[in-house]
Amino acid sequence: MTTNGVATVIRVDHVSRWFGSVVAVSDVTFDITPGITGLLGPNGAGKTTLLRMITGLAGVSDGSVTVFGQPVRDNPPLYGRIGVMSEHETVYGFMKGRDFVRMMGRLKGVTDLEAAVDKAIGFVDLADAAQRPMGTYSRGMRQRMRLAATLVHDPEILILDEPLNGADPRQRVHFQVLLRQLAAEGRTIVLSSHILEEVELLADTVLLIVNGKLAASGGFRAIRAALDERPYHVLVVSDSPRELASAVVQLDSVDAVNVDPDGTIVVLSRNVRDLQVELPRLAQSASISLRRVEPLDDSLESVFGYLAEG
Amino acid sequence: MGSVYVLTLRQLSGRWRLVIMSVLASMPVLMAAMLVRSDRAPSVEEFELVVLSGMLAGAVLPLVVLAVASTAFANEVEDRTLANLTLSPIPRWHIVVPKLLAAVSVSGPFVALSAFLTSYVAYNADLTATFAVTVSALAGVALYSSAFVWLGLVTTKAIGIGLFYIVLWEGYFAGFVSGIRILSVRYHSIALMHGLDGRRFAEENTLSVGFAVGASIVVFAGFLLLSIRRLRRMDVP
Repeated sequence: MTTNGVATVIRVDHVSRWFGSVVAVSDVTFDITPGITGLLGPNGAGKTTLLRMITGLAGVSDGSVTVFGQPVRDNPPLYGRIGVMSEHETVYGFMKGRDFVRMMGRLKGVTDLEAAVDKAIGFVDLADAAQRPMGTYSRGMRQRMRLAATLVHDPEILILDEPLNGADPRQRVHFQVLLRQLAAEGRTIVLSSHILEEVELLADTVLLIVNGKLAASGGFRAIRAALDERPYHVLVVSDSPRELASAVVQLDSVDAVNVDPDGTIVVLSRNVRDLQVELPRLAQSASISLRRVEPLDDSLESVFGYLAEG
Repeated sequence: MGSVYVLTLRQLSGRWRLVIMSVLASMPVLMAAMLVRSDRAPSVEEFELVVLSGMLAGAVLPLVVLAVASTAFANEVEDRTLANLTLSPIPRWHIVVPKLLAAVSVSGPFVALSAFLTSYVAYNADLTATFAVTVSALAGVALYSSAFVWLGLVTTKAIGIGLFYIVLWEGYFAGFVSGIRILSVRYHSIALMHGLDGRRFAEENTLSVGFAVGASIVVFAGFLLLSIRRLRRMDVP
């Protein structure tokens, strides 16, 4: 089983999942190969449900999920090859970090347990805190110790649901470095996120999930290019709206301009980056004061929605 | 299996749970001590009906076990930590059996001590009677544990449903409708008690010991298998 000559590790084949009348995932098909794959989509898009089906935690309503060619659901021997870090940050607060990683190693059947525990905890750089109960950890420390527990059995596949949630910028960078290192070792890493830039930084391949469907897939550049072509509405408030509107409409980056009766201008642009540069320059040269510049449809939902429609 | 057992033991040994169990377990002992010292001490039959059947086997035993066993899985489901166990390359029974054993290990000593002291006080240190009461109470712990562990896996309202079952089925229906007793853990325990010491519940129309033993095995194994099956099929949060 290969995808473009590369061995397929995870195959999701026409998978659907519904809860009563609610369709969480609808007829999704894709293959995952070694490297980092980002599952991108807004909150509630079905990413977690999809990941839970990939890990075997949840069953499918239709279709099939196979990992290394085997059905993943109710297949405990396969779980020794997979490491899963769910989005839920709950830990056994009474348990020391090291004991938690050791317990997970024991459950996963690790043979040289203490060495594996040392390695996993060292990898996430938490040796100093390993003897403290996890209830005393910060959010970021809990995430890292959970990652150590996920890695203790040296899994071939890592499935991480929103792994950077709640991490501060420093911890994010640390996490990203760790994940790149793991991917470079030949592992298959699937991570979900609702933050575009996060996936852009990490993933080789992106699967865009919107409303339970696979809206787009491929390299990040293709996704980003589609995003860049998207028309944006930008609200502009100034002290001379009509004068500004007639000047702005001349810009290459602007497709259309609409002046509302209340004097606000709505600019439609397919090149917001250029508009960001040109608009202040234009206002300055015309001695017009800009009071407010605000993107009107910059929410993630609208971005994802646009891609889904595309 | 040791890891799951130790983990569950720690999870089930919360301070408040232990306090509540201690209070519950001490009630039949105090009642027995008061009745023994009372001027109008009840007959053996009255004591057995009110304290052993009504209070110990009908209330304290199932309540203590419910407080422990129903949370063996429910806590993990609620905290969403159950995936730590179910995503391990071990058979599902390696998770269910140690959890059940841990539930019995936590509630068993409370119930056993309560049964031992209650019968020791009431029967004037008669060791045969004390042994019969204690062993049958422990059998009840095992049976209820198996049932309530399963209940904690199938519903998030295990405590409420368990209470309903204890009051309505074990307390009310089984108490008044003798035909239902073949499906009552409380009356299985009483039959075992009678089997181990024929003087106990001598006037009661108890189930036969052979039936009680057989039914107990079926109940225990049945709920154990149901729990394993449930863990294999459920969507783990």
